[in-house]
Amino acid sequence: MKRNFLIVGTLIAGGLVGVQSTRADATSEAINELKQQIQELDQKVKVLERQQELDTEAADAKAKDTPRITIGNNGLSAASADTNFVFQLHGVLQIDNRTFFNDRDSHNQSIVGNDTFLLRRARPIFSGTVYKDFDFMFVPDFGGSSVQIFDAYLNYRYAPWLQLRAGKFKVPVGLEQLQSDQYTSFNERGLPTALMPNRDIGFQLWGDVGNGRLSYAAGVFNGVGDARNTSNADFEDHREFAGRIFAQPFMGTSLMALQNLGFGLAGSWGNISSNATGLASSYLTDGQQSFFTYTNSSVVANGRHWRLSPQGYYYWGPFGLLGEYVISDQEVRKGAVKADLQNTAWQVAAGWVLTGEDASYTGVTPKHPFAPRDNHWGALQLVARYADLDIDNKAFPIFANPATSASEAKAWAVGLNWYLNKNIRANVSYSHTSFEGKMNPANATVTRQPEEVVFTRLQLAF
Amino acid sequence: MKTFFKSIVLLVAVSIAPCAPAKEIRLLNVSYDPTRELYQDVNAAFTKQWKDQHGDTLRLEQSHGGSGKQARAVIDGLEADVVTLALGYDIDAIADKSGQIAKDWQKRLPENSTPYTSTIVFLVRKGNPRGIKDWDDLIKPNVSVVTPNPKSSGGARWNYLAAWGYALKKNNNSEAKAKDFVSKLYQNVKIMDTGARGATTTFVQRGIGDVLIAWESEALLSLKEDKDKFEIVTPSISILAEPPVTWVDKVVKRHGTEELAKAYLQFLYTPEGQEIAAKNFYRPRSQEVAQKYANQFPKLTLFTVDELFGGWQKAQKKHFDNDGIFDEIQADNR
Repeated sequence: MKRNFLIVGTLIAGGLVGVQSTRADATSEAINELKQQIQELDQKVKVLERQQELDTEAADAKAKDTPRITIGNNGLSAASADTNFVFQLHGVLQIDNRTFFNDRDSHNQSIVGNDTFLLRRARPIFSGTVYKDFDFMFVPDFGGSSVQIFDAYLNYRYAPWLQLRAGKFKVPVGLEQLQSDQYTSFNERGLPTALMPNRDIGFQLWGDVGNGRLSYAAGVFNGVGDARNTSNADFEDHREFAGRIFAQPFMGTSLMALQNLGFGLAGSWGNISSNATGLASSYLTDGQQSFFTYTNSSVVANGRHWRLSPQGYYYWGPFGLLGEYVISDQEVRKGAVKADLQNTAWQVAAGWVLTGEDASYTGVTPKHPFAPRDNHWGALQLVARYADLDIDNKAFPIFANPATSASEAKAWAVGLNWYLNKNIRANVSYSHTSFEGKMNPANATVTRQPEEVVFTRLQLAF
Repeated sequence: MKTFFKSIVLLVAVSIAPCAPAKEIRLLNVSYDPTRELYQDVNAAFTKQWKDQHGDTLRLEQSHGGSGKQARAVIDGLEADVVTLALGYDIDAIADKSGQIAKDWQKRLPENSTPYTSTIVFLVRKGNPRGIKDWDDLIKPNVSVVTPNPKSSGGARWNYLAAWGYALKKNNNSEAKAKDFVSKLYQNVKIMDTGARGATTTFVQRGIGDVLIAWESEALLSLKEDKDKFEIVTPSISILAEPPVTWVDKVVKRHGTEELAKAYLQFLYTPEGQEIAAKNFYRPRSQEVAQKYANQFPKLTLFTVDELFGGWQKAQKKHFDNDGIFDEIQADNR
């Protein structure tokens, strides 16, 4: 019996061991399979991670060669991947209206001022930089009766404080003249601009020192008469020198109220020999009507022409103030008669941004661009200006006809500028110009009565 | 008196001449992907030699990447004074497309302008878990192969032609069977880097794949850096890889570095240059140096591109240009 139990027990134990061994084999096989699957999955994950690394490297390498193009409220800009070539497209479009009031000539009932819509400026602005230090600008204007090139220059930037510009550009004299067209407070610049040079062809050394605390410019140009743009060649043999120094000594300091106080002195000096184009063709009112001309083309610039202009501005918060004074001293001749005529002009212009944004020399940026559905209306600025231009009495009667030309013009203007956003602006203003002199009502037209004109403008600038 | 003054002037000139200020000269070597260590050593030795001989300080700069990519960069304007690329075809491409290198460039230096050679071997994990012995093992299922992209990498093109050449030799020059073999091989390739060094990184550092088809120099370097993790398997037959060097004529004329560039490349052929090549696992051309390092390089049967493919121009056009056989293989394998 015992033996039987032993045999049975041994058989059972043997069977159990066999089952366990089979189970262990099966488990081991399963484990191996699992290990293999894990290894395969691990490899797949590693491959995916590595592929992602390579894709990122490839994308980064491609980005290095890809030119960058951006478009926004500052226009269009395209730059090569290495930034050696940058091209920008900006533009200014100004659509004006001038409406004259009380301009019927009481003597013969003719209308003096022509009410008109006009395309005041339509300028694409092509600018850019090549090889990081060479800037260029090319600005044609399609707004006038013929296409003109207003700016065409190359500028080398050795450093912010030392730059060389060559080509056609604004002569560094008039403060409001140097202000960009899109930022001026009124449709037309004030009377002092009539005595300043506009654009001329030449070379200029200039720069900003101390992070803009001091700006300087000194150039040599062909030479232009008051308010004139140059033609493409010098009208006579001599050059004109122009220079300007402008300080903003509190810029970047803790004196917040004075940070945007700027003042300076500018001037020009030239020598013109016997050339009518060296003189201003005429002096214009705000409404762009001539209130002074020289007698005829027999009056020529003849000798030294110098200008001196102290100038300044102040901006603090919504308040802005700009002022300048200019003397334009010109030797003239008519036949054998010579004289040294010194014309002077000055202006003060002030503005207040009613919606609280900061005023500046470079315009107003609304905090809340125009979006009427969100109850956002842009920025509103109230502006006012007083200006005076005084012709040297020695001009009369030989060089200018006192019956038709005024000896002095005094203009005041008020206006409202609505900045819908950074790019669109609308404005309305009223200008009143009165004249002094010995005008004869029978001969004078513009200067017989004060000029009253309402301007409106719709402007796009980017 | 005249003679006296002439002598004084000569004396002054001679005494001043050696005192002429030493200058710093820059040279850019655009090379293929895995030669970083080689040219680090070459540059250090050559800089010292040049300084001793000429007194000038050299600033030798390197650019590394897939050979094809590097060639395109030079064509697109990268101002390389010298190019040391993976295959002659890439230098021919620079000569043809940019005109910056003379067309007979390969004759200007000894040994067809290849101062060292290499071949293609396999790098496997320690213990060779997949039992890789020869090319046929690379097409087995579940064998994961790492090789770079022939479109950008010179090493990858050597790898591809080595595999194709093996299949030709095995199958009595049957192009169809060679294509079938290479196609199966690329089915086992899960990821392709742009260059040989990238492929080494994938295999060695990222732990991807069972076998890396690599430059022999690259495989030996990996083994030197981590012999506990890898082994080299030498296939029964492989290709003689001849990476050439030359100066870029128009660039060296512009930079005034022609003399320096020639001296730099000629240095590779000197005993010192050959020794540096061998130490960096490139097979030196010098018999003397080759004998000294014979044990370092396995013996294997090698064929050349000229023998089996009629040269690089034909091989490139047939296999690697757009719509070539490699593109067909890739399209079929998708």
